[in-house]
Amino acid sequence: MTVNDSAVEVTNASFVYGKLKALDNLSLSAPRGISYGLLGPNGAGKTTLIRLLVGLLKPSTGEVRVLGQTPGGKMAAQIGYMPQQPSLYQELSVAQNIDFFAKIYGLKDKPARARRVEDTIKLVDLWERRGDGINKLSGGMKQRVSLACAIVHNPPLLLLDEPTVGLDPELRAGFWQHFRNLNRQGVTILISSHTMDDAAHCDRLAFIRKGQVIASGTPEELKKATGKPDADLEAAFLHFVRREDKKIV
Amino acid sequence: MFRYALTIAQRIIQQIIRDRRTLALILIVPVVVMTIIWLSFPEALGTLDYVAPALLATLALFFGFLLTGISFLRERSQGTLERLMASPVTRADIVLGYLLGFFLFALLQSLIIVLFTVYALNIHYTGAVWQIFIFQTVVLIGAINLGIFISAFAKNEFQMVQFIPLIILPQVFLCGLLWPVAQMSNYLQWISRFLPLTYAVDGLRNIMLYGKTLNEVGGDLAALAGFAIGMSIITGLSLRRGVNG
Repeated sequence: MTVNDSAVEVTNASFVYGKLKALDNLSLSAPRGISYGLLGPNGAGKTTLIRLLVGLLKPSTGEVRVLGQTPGGKMAAQIGYMPQQPSLYQELSVAQNIDFFAKIYGLKDKPARARRVEDTIKLVDLWERRGDGINKLSGGMKQRVSLACAIVHNPPLLLLDEPTVGLDPELRAGFWQHFRNLNRQGVTILISSHTMDDAAHCDRLAFIRKGQVIASGTPEELKKATGKPDADLEAAFLHFVRREDKKIV
Repeated sequence: MFRYALTIAQRIIQQIIRDRRTLALILIVPVVVMTIIWLSFPEALGTLDYVAPALLATLALFFGFLLTGISFLRERSQGTLERLMASPVTRADIVLGYLLGFFLFALLQSLIIVLFTVYALNIHYTGAVWQIFIFQTVVLIGAINLGIFISAFAKNEFQMVQFIPLIILPQVFLCGLLWPVAQMSNYLQWISRFLPLTYAVDGLRNIMLYGKTLNEVGGDLAALAGFAIGMSIITGLSLRRGVNG
């Protein structure tokens, strides 16, 4: 696989917050058109990595390439970013929030934008609530609006930071159905999570711990690596954690 | 450049219009404050005539700072600033968008204060009302940017409110509102030269009490414009604070 085949290419990236090394010489490569999961416990460095990919942070060392370019500036229009917290304007309605993000991501033509906003609201199943203020919505609905704001401009790459946290199983399944549809349209989705349920939906995974990728591959490859036929992804993660700990000892 | 500033300004206007209680407070509070001050000067209207221009400048700085500071702090704390910074929007767009959006309401507030003070409270003045507005506009631009800048150093609304005594009160005491700057000790006079409210009070007094034109208060206006431009630049540079984690 060449760099150009990758939607995301991270090479030996490190990032330090004060004295804390959030990313430690991390490398990964996510091919285009798939769902790529960053799996790891809280504090593993997943959010820092996503903030690096979206251009909010710059690596202390190493290199980060997104869609073949350095993140930030005008290329940000090609990324849909969903932060961990919903990050919406509480006083504005569902439709006004999505319309605002459509505008700042360059959808200038008013009729075309209105159609796209309508389609996106229907996609996240909030058409009946389109006029309601965000402060009147449940947590799950806010997550759906946040996702709508990230996808309204049809970006080729989605960076989603724990998008399914706090969602009930039905809603989570609905999210994954959207993600699968987007993959089929050629959209690459890089998703961070600490739940094995999300991990099972991904085409490829990177297990992240203490700012490093401790293993990567397809869910099947990772499960197989444990040597146990009935191992699930949780067992696979723990297997690689123990292997890393042994290396340190 | 500034491609998205109008979009951001439009969003801020939408937000405030939908938040009816905030809108009502923006419009009513200045009138209540000026009425209370007027009632506290019943026997000495001449004194109020002298104090009113300084009060108008002080309230413009205070309300402009508070309105923008708290709003921008929410933008930081609820994560929407991070989301904006991850979009194609530039820092200049954000600063200008905020300036334009809040300027509308700050100016409306200032208009209400000036018109209420001049016409309802019958404060005597000699200068042209439009020149008072133009002067107040420059004061407001500085105040709005000061609010955005200071919000970078607060993590919540409680901390932001703590900055009022630190940023606004010293200016109130040293600007000439309570007693003339010339009567202060030398070091206080020296400090007052670096405070925007000193120039705002001096300029507005010269316009309203002595009928001077904007040209004649050009020195004060230049100092305030310099402060407004300087704050805009510093504000742009400080936007990443809190977003960088």
